[in-house]
Amino acid sequence: MKQLIALTLIGLTSAVLADEITPVNYNDHIKPIFRQHCLKCHGDDQQKAGLNLQNFESALKGGSGGKAVVAGRASASLLYQAITNEDAEARMPLNQPPLPEAQVKLILAWIADGLRESAGSKSLATNRDLTFKPTAGAMTKPDGPLPMPEKLPAVKRPQLNLKLPIVAMDASPWAPLVAVAGHEHVRLLHTQTHEELGVLPFPEGVPHVIRFSRDGAVLLVAGGKPVQSGKAVLFDVRTGKRLTEIGDELDAVLAADLSPDQQLVAIGGSGKIVKVYGTSDGVLKYKLTRHTDWITAIGFSPDGNKLATADRSGGLHLWEPKTGGILLTLAEHKASVSSLNWRNDSRVLATAGEDGLLIWWDVVDGWPAISKNNAHPPKRAEGVYGRLRNGVLGVSFDGNGNLLTAGRDRVVRLWTPDGQTTKSFEVTEAIPVTPRISYDGRTLICGDSLGEIHFWNVP
Amino acid sequence: MNRNLIILLTAFLIPFSTDLFAEAPSFRRDVMPVFFRAGCNSGTCHGSARGKDGFMLSLFGYDARGDYFRLTQELIGRRVNVAAPSESLMLKKASGQVPHTGGKRFELESPYYQTLLKWIEAGAPDDPANVPEPVEIKLEPDRLLFDVGAAAKPTVVTARYSDGTTRDVSKLSRFVSNNPDTATISADGVVTPGKRGDTFVFARFNRFTIGSEVIVLPKDSAYQWSNPPTQNYIDELIYDRLQKLHLLPSELCDDETFVRRVYLDLAGVPPTVEQYRAFLSDANPKKRDVLVDQLLASEEFSQVWTAIWAEWVRLMGGGYAPTGTDVKAAEAYYQWIHEQIKSNRPFNEFVADQVTATGSNLTNGPANLYTMLVHSPRFTPKEFAANFSQLTMGIQIQCAECHNHPFDRWTMSDYYGFVSFFTGMKRKLGAEPREMYIFNDRSMPPAKQLVDDRPIPATVLGGEAPVPEMGDKRQALARWLAAPDNPHFGRNYSNRVWAHFFGRGLVEPVDDMRISNPPTNKPLLDALANRFADSKFNLRALIRDICTSRVYQLASQPNATNSGDTRQFSRSRLRRLRADVLLDAIVVATSSERGFSYFPRGTKAIQYYPRTPGDTEGPNAGDPFFATFGRSRRGSICVCETRTESNLSQALHLLVGDTIDGRVGGGQVVPKLLVAGKSPEEIIEELFVRTLSRKPTSEERTAMRELVGDNVKDRKVFEDIFSSLLQSTEFGFNH
Repeated sequence: MKQLIALTLIGLTSAVLADEITPVNYNDHIKPIFRQHCLKCHGDDQQKAGLNLQNFESALKGGSGGKAVVAGRASASLLYQAITNEDAEARMPLNQPPLPEAQVKLILAWIADGLRESAGSKSLATNRDLTFKPTAGAMTKPDGPLPMPEKLPAVKRPQLNLKLPIVAMDASPWAPLVAVAGHEHVRLLHTQTHEELGVLPFPEGVPHVIRFSRDGAVLLVAGGKPVQSGKAVLFDVRTGKRLTEIGDELDAVLAADLSPDQQLVAIGGSGKIVKVYGTSDGVLKYKLTRHTDWITAIGFSPDGNKLATADRSGGLHLWEPKTGGILLTLAEHKASVSSLNWRNDSRVLATAGEDGLLIWWDVVDGWPAISKNNAHPPKRAEGVYGRLRNGVLGVSFDGNGNLLTAGRDRVVRLWTPDGQTTKSFEVTEAIPVTPRISYDGRTLICGDSLGEIHFWNVP
Repeated sequence: MNRNLIILLTAFLIPFSTDLFAEAPSFRRDVMPVFFRAGCNSGTCHGSARGKDGFMLSLFGYDARGDYFRLTQELIGRRVNVAAPSESLMLKKASGQVPHTGGKRFELESPYYQTLLKWIEAGAPDDPANVPEPVEIKLEPDRLLFDVGAAAKPTVVTARYSDGTTRDVSKLSRFVSNNPDTATISADGVVTPGKRGDTFVFARFNRFTIGSEVIVLPKDSAYQWSNPPTQNYIDELIYDRLQKLHLLPSELCDDETFVRRVYLDLAGVPPTVEQYRAFLSDANPKKRDVLVDQLLASEEFSQVWTAIWAEWVRLMGGGYAPTGTDVKAAEAYYQWIHEQIKSNRPFNEFVADQVTATGSNLTNGPANLYTMLVHSPRFTPKEFAANFSQLTMGIQIQCAECHNHPFDRWTMSDYYGFVSFFTGMKRKLGAEPREMYIFNDRSMPPAKQLVDDRPIPATVLGGEAPVPEMGDKRQALARWLAAPDNPHFGRNYSNRVWAHFFGRGLVEPVDDMRISNPPTNKPLLDALANRFADSKFNLRALIRDICTSRVYQLASQPNATNSGDTRQFSRSRLRRLRADVLLDAIVVATSSERGFSYFPRGTKAIQYYPRTPGDTEGPNAGDPFFATFGRSRRGSICVCETRTESNLSQALHLLVGDTIDGRVGGGQVVPKLLVAGKSPEEIIEELFVRTLSRKPTSEERTAMRELVGDNVKDRKVFEDIFSSLLQSTEFGFNH
């Protein structure tokens, strides 16, 4: 086992100001800005919208619209929204030029750092320890030989016009094996030799989800034909045998996962409902009906205690998987959540969205411990104006808490557990969709929108 | 002839066929037109602002890049499946193989399906940067003549591309008829005649709309042109049109009708008894022209056009301070307008002065264009640009804020380029709270195009390049607008002026000029606009042409051919008097004053404009008569704010309200006649002339005399007759 990086996450966000001796605080840094721009309307004399920023206590209290600042969370701080509003008509200070960038940064740092009152004050942000701690059992190799395909039956492949974009793919957690979506079939490849070890037929249609079980012995494939039929199928990785089929949907299954104990399969899609089935009897256990849009991502936590589901409007919920009771709603994404993945210790959930957000969630209280709002910044070509599409399409942890992501900027990026990006790889011809890290952490793999698979070896 | 033309043309054009896809179909050139033709990107389907059922296309395809993304990349592998193309959801939905809210759009065997399939088979490629764009379309034939019941005729739509190539796009266009009663056009562009009349059919392709005229004539070989005399070009062009449509003009109206009509139209009041008598007894054969000139020179004429312009620019006082519509500002603007009209300022200069005005709205009247045109505490460039375009060009460009104009040529770039003339306009509080200081902040950036945030520098409508970035860009705008060859300015105001005299514009409504709303007589509109420009935008000269034309002087009685005509001006149209003119007419006829709050004594209704908060409508509406008879509410830029329809509450108001009741006796009209010893017959005649500017017919004389009976000195019975005349439809209308 590798040495683990132990770092507390809080405090890192203020790295911008590392060279300053005093931490950003209300008395020294923020009040002068407020005095210059805000206090005329939001001070002791006048409290427009009920907001008084003239002293620390009243600033924390907020105004008629709610709290003006939330420790550690600029995205939930109305004040920050107001001064950075893109609509010049609505931006504070009203009918004035926007605050200088340096002052905005200072306010952002003050919020991120936990709203200190003075240089000596404590941060108001919760001190959270998100050190990666491997859970007992989660990283323990299962008994027996490696779960690799053994002489899979020969299968007739469908005649294809072009390669299917690799919309789904997974790497075995214990073996040098990657399963890749093809039209009406799934290919099993060796991660080192890239040799095709077998093909699993999936006549149900396009596989939109491929997931290995925690022990690497079972493969979940889910998908279907658009607006016709959808299904999830469990395969034995060694023999290629179909173990069971779950669901009978009217549209392709777009999101699915198998619980760590392999007792439950959760599926979802355009029906906006997550259905959870028992694998032994194929019986529907319960439905989750809180989502308001297509279900785009589903994941059981490795310890089996939580189920995360996400939708196309940015909805993200945590459930108790045995009963389907709601645990938490994680509100931060503003557009479709394209992908989610659990860290091995079940403490952190990573989510990525079309809004460009990449978030490491502390699932204990649903806090976005690390949030990158432009994790995959696209390059602006000459003569191109406007907002560039910066969606993050895929996230995947390795066994050590490192995260691999892929984005519409056509870059695959590796992040350390504390949210620092260390390596990035460009995919020039197509959009990378399915980032995965091999069982040993040595190979980074990603499928793209032209159906190609990219392998990068890392030391 | 026309058919030969079509055959000839088609032979040289590449027909729409899938065999031609030696290369993969192009997304913009081949695929997007299928979405357009099949209705996928229409406003009720995926083209709506938020799409439909989770899938959005840009309305009629204004955003090709975004459409490509949404089809191929938003949900990778779902809508388009390059591995198994026929499994693509897009194809399954459109061909009705899977449930689709929009149903089946085309068959599997159709060229539409084949185009999409071939494109997906090729890997659903995006276009290279230099893909040719359509630059214009043609619809042929451009004029279709039918007899009622004749066989249908086909049309051909041809697109010319930026690389010079042309292409038959009939199968990719959409068609619509402006009046399906007269002619229908099928989805494939085949025109079938209906009832007698004229209309336009339109083809739409890409961002272009183009029309062909359709005339359907009755099978009456008996039609023969009556060959009436002509006064000027207006008559010639109207007659030309009437002959084409087998219509005959009505007779010339009599002097009584004319004198009332021209007084009401030019002076905003009916003739007095003396004016009536003077005109009728005038033996000069040119007396109609003389009267027109006399009225054009009158103060009343200036009052009418001041009132109309004030209406158009939504002039009002009494708004709350931040909008800058204080009564002092309104008065400054009103007086300025009046001076310009009175001095017969060239109309283009009159408008240009307002466009470029700067400074205090209390001392510099025309600057109030920037406070009145949009009543808002904040100056809003987009709203202002839209209102400004409607006011000065009769063009509604606001559709192009969010997408290219679906039924006209204006693109989003046209729109934002036009908005950029006003992005620097600011209003700051002046020395006193009622005052606004209007100025152009030249440092403000231009407006940004909605689709891609690209800044679009100030560009005149339809302009090839932005105006030079020097000084106040409004100067360039004003110069362009006021130029004699501006394609919109002269047509707009000629049309609006025409509508004042005929109750209907050559383009109707007058503030909605667009390709899909063509003039009923284009040569005439062009001639009027040219004449207006040639006269250096002399309003009185234009109006003189109109009022001295024979067409203006036609009777309202129809003949056998023109009873159904409402658009070709073959007879005079009955027009309800505007609220202010009607009220002034009552005052003149009854010789009885009518005062207005907040205005000095002697103010006429035509000189009244809203001066107090809430004056225009609602519970505090300033004058109930105005509210009832539809004086402009100033609620929007639409000319429809001035209402001239008739309704029950108007009839009731005239019957039981105090406007007529109090006035019939107030002016002592009948007592004075009685005192003067007039006979009942003379009194009856005088009352008719006072109200209807005509002598009673012999039947009317007899009936009225019977009513009076023996009560020949009874004031009441004559005043009852007087009231009835004022309440009559004939009094309330110009005819």
